Amino acid sequence: MALRESVRNSDGGDLLAGLGVVTGRSEGDAGVRHGGLLVNLADAVARWRWDEVARLRGCGVDLIGLEATRDAILVAAGFNGITRVADAIGIRLDTRTADASVELRSAIGIDSFAPLGKWNAH
Amino acid sequence: MTAAALPVDSATSAAHQATLQAIAEPGGWWSGADRLAIVRATRTAPTCALCARREKPNATALDGEHDNDGELPPIAVEAVHAIRNDSGRLTRRWFDDVIDMGLLPEAYVELVAVTASSVIVDTFAQGLGFDMPELPEPVSGAPNLERSDDVEDAGAWLPLAREGRANILRSLGLVPSALKLFFGTFGRSYYMAPDSQFALDRAQVELVAARVSAVNECFY
Repeated sequence: MALRESVRNSDGGDLLAGLGVVTGRSEGDAGVRHGGLLVNLADAVARWRWDEVARLRGCGVDLIGLEATRDAILVAAGFNGITRVADAIGIRLDTRTADASVELRSAIGIDSFAPLGKWNAH
Repeated sequence: MTAAALPVDSATSAAHQATLQAIAEPGGWWSGADRLAIVRATRTAPTCALCARREKPNATALDGEHDNDGELPPIAVEAVHAIRNDSGRLTRRWFDDVIDMGLLPEAYVELVAVTASSVIVDTFAQGLGFDMPELPEPVSGAPNLERSDDVEDAGAWLPLAREGRANILRSLGLVPSALKLFFGTFGRSYYMAPDSQFALDRAQVELVAARVSAVNECFY
């Protein structure tokens, strides 16, 4: 879901080229305004590193404002939940999502996340 | 609340409180007390000694007990802890073992929804600098054994709702109340309604979402 919408709303090549920051393969802002801060905040929230979250929260309020910082945490919290649903139900990538995200999936290497045996019974 | 905590907006606060209250009520396959026990097991998972020492989720080779309060069957605690702590490495074999060891597929779906919903509520509260919310008292009553027949095999470990724009939106369709619970919680965190708005622009929202998905090694 996130990947599909990212493609639709990116500014084009620059965003795709910079998306190694999503998987930690590179540093930067991915061509997104305040992207560096947002990636670090998302990372800290996803890993439940609350001291780091508190520090970045302060940076966020100064840089992007209270509401935007709060929304970043809200989005991160939501995706901490929905990724668990996807993984725990063992859903496959549907055609609609796959077709819309092929470039982006390649750019950030997310196809490698499916573990061996994800869908094999034995 | 810590000194630097951010205030919660009223709409999200209300939605997350509604989630906790809904969890406290009887569901399709678990009582309200059971569902609250699932939330407590989710909260215990990060400090579970068994989870910390094993390399990957393994339902059949438990060399000890998960940290738990004894209110849930051990296989349910295994499922909650694995989903909370290591969801990116869950496999079909692990799932089959969980079912073989006595967890009904419908109960598993509901457990997933409760676990993931509580992850959202607790992560948001702690992310803002607050403690995890207090849980309501359980509402008495028996589960209604809800199971949808409007499902189909879509290559997942469980049948998905027949209707839906994407598999993730169909994923909990076997137990409609579980689907409603989860997406009622998640809805505040993404563009789930035509009037969804954030103080971030779309690319910023997607970047946060993609980074969290990557950290969690989520293929989808």
